[in-house]
Amino acid sequence: MSSPGTGWEKGSVVAKRERISLGWLVIAAFLLLFLLVPLFLHDPYPLHIFVLVFHFAFLGTAWSLVSMAGQLSLGHAALMGIGGYTSTLLFMEWGVSPWIGMWAGAIACAIIGVVIGYPAFRLRGPYFALTSIAFAEILRIYVENTEVGPFGIPLRAAMGLLVPLRGQAPALFQFDSKEPYYYIALVMMCIAVGLSYLINRSRIGFYLTAIRSDQDAAEALGINSTKYKLIAMAISCALTALGGTFYAQYFRYINPERAMGLGMSIEIALVGVVGGWQTVLGPMIGSILLTPTGELVRAYLGGTYAGLHLLLYGLLLMGVILFLPNGLNDPLVRAFRRLEARVWGRAGGAGGVAPPARPQEKQPQQGERG
Amino acid sequence: MSLLTIDRLNKRFGGLVAVQDFDLTVEKGEIVGLIGPNGAGKTTLFNLIACFYGPDSGRILFQERSLIGMRPYQICALGIARTFQVTKPFVNNTVLENVMVGAFSRTGSAKAAREKALEMLQVVEFSDRQDVLGQELTTADHKRLELARALATEPKLLLLDEVMAGLNATEKVHLIDLLRRIRNQGITLVVVEHDMRAVMTLCERIVLMHQGRKLVEGSPQEVASDPQAIAAYLGEEYAAA
Repeated sequence: MSSPGTGWEKGSVVAKRERISLGWLVIAAFLLLFLLVPLFLHDPYPLHIFVLVFHFAFLGTAWSLVSMAGQLSLGHAALMGIGGYTSTLLFMEWGVSPWIGMWAGAIACAIIGVVIGYPAFRLRGPYFALTSIAFAEILRIYVENTEVGPFGIPLRAAMGLLVPLRGQAPALFQFDSKEPYYYIALVMMCIAVGLSYLINRSRIGFYLTAIRSDQDAAEALGINSTKYKLIAMAISCALTALGGTFYAQYFRYINPERAMGLGMSIEIALVGVVGGWQTVLGPMIGSILLTPTGELVRAYLGGTYAGLHLLLYGLLLMGVILFLPNGLNDPLVRAFRRLEARVWGRAGGAGGVAPPARPQEKQPQQGERG
Repeated sequence: MSLLTIDRLNKRFGGLVAVQDFDLTVEKGEIVGLIGPNGAGKTTLFNLIACFYGPDSGRILFQERSLIGMRPYQICALGIARTFQVTKPFVNNTVLENVMVGAFSRTGSAKAAREKALEMLQVVEFSDRQDVLGQELTTADHKRLELARALATEPKLLLLDEVMAGLNATEKVHLIDLLRRIRNQGITLVVVEHDMRAVMTLCERIVLMHQGRKLVEGSPQEVASDPQAIAAYLGEEYAAA
């Protein structure tokens, strides 16, 4: 298949050799560090902040699976609430261990996600975001005003549910100290990020990014866009429900205002957007930055300036959208690649590894005639 | 058995008749050119074949199977791929990843998709740019990318909507050569094209569309010398040349 050289010469098709990347070493180092933290840190408050960082990294990662298909959910708190309420009610009413109950919540939320997504995904534009807010708000208002739900479910309205205390009961997802929660949150985060990584490298991940870039082109390549959005939605909702059970067990209390409220939905989305929505590590980066900031501001200045952390979130969000519209992930990855190149003694690295911060205008083409 | 049969196809948008009583048969291994002035209905016809929208009446058969009521992604599975007049690269993905998306229509394995994509990039001689992001490419590159992406779906019929537009003379010659080689692999091509020189060189059969109807059909020579074709589209200048 040789052809005359015309500037479109054949390049070498040698696949980039996989070498042990510095990235994996750094991830392994962080993981080891996180595993060891409770051995040195016995003060419950810093541990609590770590737990929240992992928890929101988990929720943000679950959320970002939907955003990979270009869909913005601002109602994920509802799924968290349903997950937490399901496992807690099952425990309260029938003594079902939350370890089991959490899967009931996950399955319920996967189904709910598909039911909400099916009509909304068929429309293009902001309709999914609006639908997700509407769903979460309707659910919150309903639970806040309902003492006894259908089939006699004791929802307890705005009071919320207290998880019956059983002391140190690992089989019932209850522990006396913070350390077990710390490790559970860490494992959950690792599972979510690992799952997101696998999805990204598989057919579903390629299809989701294709749908996000250009749905018509994606469909022309055989992609049933509604189906793949629903798959992403179901996985995301199921994971978020599991996060809801963790939330309920960790705080031993769940109420509609916090667990289903718009504030929680926005916090989940914010972690993803700031870190780099549509990326694997972005939500984790976002949570590492946002969660301690928010928590410390709330703890130390919340008394004098109530709501200051929200103002701070708003400012951060504005800054990120203005200067880093793709989130913190891309510049960090680029800086890291440069470092990696230096460590491996390679100048530069492959061309065009990371995207520029802003999508460039199409370059002027040569020789275009009308 | 014809690969593609279009039978009395009609499509109107409100009061505008885009395609009217259109018939066309395409045999396996052919390169058919679709020409005509702007607004003649060429792209509409493409969109009808690719099921981006359905016709008001008429039949479209691909390998004896009706395409009416199908969705675009189902057409791909049957073996019809297309490129777009306004190119639609996945801008945040590399060239290789773009082509892998196409390859995934035939395999669930990322490794197999990657191999297929690398092969297709070699076919369109684009391997040297496999790691470049879609948004960093020129128009000429986009055309090449879309071609590789479409080929990766292993089509039997390839619909090319103005692939020559935006290319310089050398690139055009080269692309014509490439399209011939693709045809020699057993892939049937239907091309919409404004570049007359390219169409005349590439195609064995040309259909001239005018106001949604088929005006003239025949070999490049027949079409070039047809008085109706000259009057409607080609112009006196071309007839003289």
